Amino acid sequence: MGEWGRTTLELIVEELRQPVRLDESFERRVMVRVRRLYAQRRRHGVGGWLGGFTRVTYHPGWAAALAASVVAMVTLGVMRSRPAGVATVSPREPVQFVLVRPDARSVAVVGDFNDWGLNDTALVATNHQGVWSVTAPVPAGVHRYAFVVNGKEWVTDPNAPRSAGDDFGLPSSALVVEDSTK
Amino acid sequence: MESSDAALVTSVLHGDVNAYGALVSRYRDRYARYAVHMLGNREDAEEALQDAFTRAYRSLARCEEPERFGAWLFRILVNRCRTSGARRVRRGQTFVYDEGALMKASQEHPAERTMWREEIERALGELSADQREAFLLKYVEDLGYDEMAEITGVGVSALKMRVMRACDRLRTLLREVHNG
Repeated sequence: MGEWGRTTLELIVEELRQPVRLDESFERRVMVRVRRLYAQRRRHGVGGWLGGFTRVTYHPGWAAALAASVVAMVTLGVMRSRPAGVATVSPREPVQFVLVRPDARSVAVVGDFNDWGLNDTALVATNHQGVWSVTAPVPAGVHRYAFVVNGKEWVTDPNAPRSAGDDFGLPSSALVVEDSTK
Repeated sequence: MESSDAALVTSVLHGDVNAYGALVSRYRDRYARYAVHMLGNREDAEEALQDAFTRAYRSLARCEEPERFGAWLFRILVNRCRTSGARRVRRGQTFVYDEGALMKASQEHPAERTMWREEIERALGELSADQREAFLLKYVEDLGYDEMAEITGVGVSALKMRVMRACDRLRTLLREVHNG
C-alpha cells in the first residue's frame, strides 16, 4: 500500500473518516425512550410541560461564589448536611437535605429527581437560624443534585461527594437511594 | 428549509417531542462514527449514543447555548464513551461503512483495503483510552485543541502529548502494513 504516496497518518485518518451509518431503527429506539420520558413528565406534571422545561441558568460567577461559600462554612466550623457521604436510605424513607448558609435568603434543592426545576418543582428549604433544610421522598437509584441559593447561586453539597462526570458543565453532588425491595 | 438546532431545541422545550427526532436524525451518523471508533464495536457504540441522546433530552433545559446543541451533545457522548467500560473489539462489527464508499473501495483495492481496515482497528485498540480519545477528536473529528480541552476537561499540553504519542504508536504499529 506504500505506492499510494501518502503518509501512514493520512491514510489512517482517511479510513477513520469514512462515514458510519446506523439503520433507521436506531432513531426509533431513541424516540421510544424520549416519548416515554415525555409521557412520564406529563403524567407527573413535572418540568413545566406545555409551558416548556424549567430552565436553570448558570452564571460564570457561580464557581467563585461556590468556592467562597464553602471556605466560609469550613471556617465557621458549622458545615453540616445530609446526606453525608453517599447516602443510603430505603425507597420510602424521606431524604433530608441540609445546607448551612446563614447569609442566604432562600435555598432550594434541585436534582435529576425533580428535573432540576427551580420554580415549580424545586424543593424549597426552611431556614432555622441559618441551617436550611427540606425533607422529600426520593426514588430509589443514583441521583445528582445541588442547592440553589437565593434563586441564582448553584452550590454543591459540601458534605456529599461530587458526582462523577459533570456532563452538562455544572457540578453536582451524588446521592444513592437504595431500593429496599431488592 | 431545515430548522436550526436552536429552533428545534426551543420546540422541544415547548412540548414538541417530535422536534427531538430531527435532532437525533441530524447527529446520529456523525456521532456514531466517533462512538464506534472509540468503543471498538457497534453494539456498545449504539448503546452509548442512545444514552447520550436520552440524557441530553432529559437535561435539555440545561443546554445553555441551544444553537450549539451539537457540541453540547458531543460532550455528553464523549463522557458516555469514557464510562462505557473497556473496549471490546468484536471483529466484523467494529466499522460500519457507507455501502457506496465501501463498494468503491473494495473494487479498487479489495484485499488490501480490508486488511488495512482491520489493522487500523487492531492498532486503535492497542492505544490507551486517553490516547485514542485525543487522536480521534483531533484527527477524525477535526477539533482544535481548545475545543478538545473544553470537551474533555484535560489541559491543552496534556492533550498534545496524548495525540503525539498516539500518532507515534499508530505509525509504529501500521508502518509495516502500509509499506508491505
